Amino acid sequence: MSLDATYTRELPLVEGKTSFKEIDDVIARPTETKPNIKWFIAIGISSTALLIGAVCLGLTFWYGVGLWGNNQPVGWAFDIINFVFWIGIGHAGTLISAILFLFRQKWRTGIARFAEGMTIFAVMTAGIFPVIHTGRPWLDGYLFPYPNQHGLWVNFTSPLLWDVFAVSTYFTVSFVFWFIGLIPDFATLRDRTTSGIKKAIYTTLSLGWRGSNRHWQHYERVYLILAGLSTPLVLSVHTIVSFDFAVSVIPGWHTTIFPPYFVAGAIFSGFGMVSTVLIIVRKVFDMEHIITVNTLEKMNKILLATGTMVGYAYSMEFFIAWYSGNPIEQFTFINRAFGPYSWAYWIMFSCNVFFPQLFWFKKIRRNIPLTFVLVLLVNVGMWFERYVIIVTSLTRDYLPSSWGMYFPTMYDFGILLGSFGMFFTLVLLFAKTMPVVAMSEIKAVTEGAQPSHKHKHE
Amino acid sequence: MDYIKKQLPDSLAKTGGIMLAVGVIILVMAFIFTPERAFFDYLWIYLFMVSISVGSLALVALEYLVGATWSTPFRRITEILASMTPVLIILAIPLFFGMHDLFHWTHTEVVENDAILTAKSPYLNVEFFIARTAFCLLLWVMFYFLLTRNSEKQDLDGDPKYTKRNVTLSTIFAPLFVVTITIAAIDWAMSLEPHWFSTIFGVYYFAGTIVAALAATTYASVKLKEGGYLDKSLGDDSFYSLGTLMFGFNVFWAYIAFSQFILIWYADLPEETFWLIHRWEGSWKFVSLALLFFHFVFPFLILVGRNIKTNIRALKWMAPWMLAAHALDLYWLIFPTLFRGNASIGWQELSFPFIIIGLSMVVFKLSAGRKNLMAVKDPKMQMGLDFHL
Amino acid sequence: MIGKILKKFDEKFLKSEPRTGELYAVAALFDTPDQIINAAEKVSGSGYKKFDVLTPYPVHGMDGAMNLKPTGIGWVGLIAGMSGTFLAFLMIWWMVEINYPNIFGGKPYFNLTASIPIMFELTVLLSALTLVGSLITLFLKLPANANPLMDTDFIKRVTSDKFGIYIEAKDAKFKFEEVNALFAELGSSKVSNIHEAVYDIGDTNNPLLNIKFIGVLLGTTASVVVITYFVLNVLLFLPPFDWMQRQPKVLPQTQSEFFKDGYSMRKPVEGTVARGFMPYEFNGMPDSMVVITPNPLPVTKKVLDLGKKRYDTYCSPCHGYYGKGDSRLRGQFPVPPTLHSVKVANWKDANIYHVITNGQNTMPSYASSISRDDRWAIVHYLRVLQRSTNAPESDFETK
Repeated sequence: MSLDATYTRELPLVEGKTSFKEIDDVIARPTETKPNIKWFIAIGISSTALLIGAVCLGLTFWYGVGLWGNNQPVGWAFDIINFVFWIGIGHAGTLISAILFLFRQKWRTGIARFAEGMTIFAVMTAGIFPVIHTGRPWLDGYLFPYPNQHGLWVNFTSPLLWDVFAVSTYFTVSFVFWFIGLIPDFATLRDRTTSGIKKAIYTTLSLGWRGSNRHWQHYERVYLILAGLSTPLVLSVHTIVSFDFAVSVIPGWHTTIFPPYFVAGAIFSGFGMVSTVLIIVRKVFDMEHIITVNTLEKMNKILLATGTMVGYAYSMEFFIAWYSGNPIEQFTFINRAFGPYSWAYWIMFSCNVFFPQLFWFKKIRRNIPLTFVLVLLVNVGMWFERYVIIVTSLTRDYLPSSWGMYFPTMYDFGILLGSFGMFFTLVLLFAKTMPVVAMSEIKAVTEGAQPSHKHKHE
Repeated sequence: MDYIKKQLPDSLAKTGGIMLAVGVIILVMAFIFTPERAFFDYLWIYLFMVSISVGSLALVALEYLVGATWSTPFRRITEILASMTPVLIILAIPLFFGMHDLFHWTHTEVVENDAILTAKSPYLNVEFFIARTAFCLLLWVMFYFLLTRNSEKQDLDGDPKYTKRNVTLSTIFAPLFVVTITIAAIDWAMSLEPHWFSTIFGVYYFAGTIVAALAATTYASVKLKEGGYLDKSLGDDSFYSLGTLMFGFNVFWAYIAFSQFILIWYADLPEETFWLIHRWEGSWKFVSLALLFFHFVFPFLILVGRNIKTNIRALKWMAPWMLAAHALDLYWLIFPTLFRGNASIGWQELSFPFIIIGLSMVVFKLSAGRKNLMAVKDPKMQMGLDFHL
Repeated sequence: MIGKILKKFDEKFLKSEPRTGELYAVAALFDTPDQIINAAEKVSGSGYKKFDVLTPYPVHGMDGAMNLKPTGIGWVGLIAGMSGTFLAFLMIWWMVEINYPNIFGGKPYFNLTASIPIMFELTVLLSALTLVGSLITLFLKLPANANPLMDTDFIKRVTSDKFGIYIEAKDAKFKFEEVNALFAELGSSKVSNIHEAVYDIGDTNNPLLNIKFIGVLLGTTASVVVITYFVLNVLLFLPPFDWMQRQPKVLPQTQSEFFKDGYSMRKPVEGTVARGFMPYEFNGMPDSMVVITPNPLPVTKKVLDLGKKRYDTYCSPCHGYYGKGDSRLRGQFPVPPTLHSVKVANWKDANIYHVITNGQNTMPSYASSISRDDRWAIVHYLRVLQRSTNAPESDFETK
């Protein structure tokens, strides 16, 4: 919670005296006005990126994954790096909406809706990669255990299958959590819109929500339980993603700290992306009094904490590699820092461990332009972390005669670009069609929104 | 605030003293008859005390770090629990005499003939080991004094500058705590099996530590509330968060334990699996299963409901349960090195509960001394007391 | 063109002619949360049952003010979640232990450890979906777009910035003047009457028999059937799904265009040995040239049971169940000499093994039917049979 300098009062979450009507107007305005030229330019860029990615993807389907840089020994490269990267970004959304809700951190309210939306778009983007990297994607239906004509089931022992269940569950649960949160807001939009077709759409989507307290009672309990379910879910999803690597015997992959390390890293990269997008959104949509500098400062503190956790994991891996006395394990880490891909390692290290340390200083935490630069670096650093883990370990594992280099192709880059295009296109569409701040939630935490005397019969 | 300062009864120290004396006698007899086993018991006691004391210190720092207000009414109790940190220095000294019995890697003739141990000897050697432990202890003690001194000074005038100072101290302490608790876990627990290693081990001990520290604060707080030592306006709702955190960190502990287990089991590398196999042989299987059910499954099912966590009578049972679970966890970590093939509980192990409980009671009473049992002028105190679900 | 469609939507959805049905409720708006809490307490305290409070966000303490019973939806989540755990466990266990066991990574068919991730995910999934589904359909009874409150000025304020309370006309204690007076006393800023709308909904004696409903139901069923058939029986046989059906590989007993002799099945290459094949060094040699090696198997109950089983299967047709040659084929097939003879009793195990592997006289070689370990087990069992007809005195001593 944000306390004032005397530590006796909470700071207001919405700055300035805003009426509910004004909140509605500010938040609903992007959905009620035509997009401006900046929006069109933005979506033009993101759609172009998306198109490039789609073309590369189409060619990949036609010619096969040989178009990519994957080879022996690097059987996994950009495909899995991008998958882990985007899933990680999704985690921040769930953390903000679910975990911070459970911790009763009210400052999440201004950013929770947006973050949840980002989660869904990130998971959608991430979900493309396991699908396309199977080589014969049209057979991906066999990933699910349904009675098929071969009489075959799936391999339940494999973490790749656990991923199928985990990501599907994560997407579904995040989606319903997001949708449930949107119902009251759709009702608000339904009742204020002046367009017939929008009225029809919002009527359908809001399901006839009336704001009845008999409904709020059940609704709030479900919201709480979903938050309580989403929290272990998000931890489990990235844990299972980490199992993809950690259950193997590859040095640099097989290490017990991977599950919490990956989760911390996911939250770290996710917050980086959320901050990046929010800094833009609050400026473009005039929501600086709702998405306040206090909120951004809190997010920077979380970035600092999770970045330090990631740094801890790096140190533990390094130390135990030495401690184990296993020469192959030791070589792996020396190779990462000083081998042919050392440039990737040092990008990762500086962006994830070194630069975020600047957030120790309050001045920097509250400086928006500097924050923007730093969180961009976090995104870069976390992408490179997955590159280092996956590619570097695979290029040089046990047998020196099997060593080989990895070089991505333009199709790899095209698909990576396309994933950013897809994500940002969806975000831009979301920002113009749905309220990016939860109107009902933010009203509930403004000053004077709750009754002044507490009642005993809860 | 409706706090009336009431001193803890002398009987607390008296009972504690007797229990401590009994425990010490048992331990001394153990040293005479089965010295190796006695050192393992002593290590068990030491690691448990580290969990409670340093864990409590970490909880104090955590409150300052995140600006929580619900925990302010309990913070002084946690600080008093953390006062066992200086005691650790005295506790550690006999342990150094037991290093030869405890640690394989102190036997130079063994190390000479073992390539792996020789490779580790820059880290696992007696001098560096003692230096590291001393460093951790001194660091913990230093931050204990700094943090609690500010907190107690604030009792006089309620100046927010003390809170500000403690926030700064806590921010510095947090990463240092993580590093030192990892070092303690690796040195004192993981190096019992010097051929084995696990990068998550520090996190594992950390998770158990936090659960134990939360349980200790919960139990002490409930007992003090029931005894009328705390503010009358402190409601049952405030205990909810203690229960929730205990539940949540317990789930976190289980998650870490499972992560470690599944990865070692899955890859099936003999250089790692032997540690788990030792904990499944003979009657160790039952200890492992007991750990699963007693530390995770049953507490999970009991604490998952919403209402139980505002029931302070229920918390009065669950908190000691979690403390016992942590003790079992440490037993499971430490003793398979001594007892290969089958677990063993004997009269020597009785020293553990007697010393732990006795020492805690004595130190708590001595440390509470003339202090307020609540941080009376803390600026966040009113918000903490006003907390409602 | 688009403008015309939009206008159509505007006309249909934005019209707000006054409703002509009977009175549904009297509704009052309030400006502050304290007022609405007070109003709820008074209304509930006055004994009204059919009333509701509408707010743009949940107001703390309203549940108590309205005297609502606590929600039981948590139980739904818990039971659904536990079902998810159990169903996941059952599914995995049945698939890998019963239906199609496979050995993966040397681990047992079913392992609980590896099943935990999926069990956990399905717990969460089932719990979440059941919660949301039952919330919307059972607890909130949504969608409810035909509620008389829709499209009123009242609801347009309560979803935005005011707090509202209404008492239904159907409530037992409802009296129009009393209700209005109560709301005025509570300080309402605006009181309005909510009327039902009159819809033309046709014959509603039995909504299930409504033509439109049945039509939609049949249409949905038909389209689902058609789509499923199309996907499973047509689409999945089109390229690229059919690429695996045309494989340039040889099938057994077919012609081959690749090999000169036209056969697709080939003999193993000269000098190669099948995996697991161990040549028997005394093949075709007489008994006397057999080098005596001891029986590699221990004499345990397991081995003897195995030996018995194999003996009964392979040896008993000719040698009989007791090795006496009194077999089922007696009379139809040459009777083998008894295996209890001194000659056989004095043979070493390796000699018996040699006979089974090599064959002897009319007896063919059993090397291709009985594995090497099984042959040794049979030898042990044979010794049991021999001992049974020639037991030493010590076997009869009681202890």
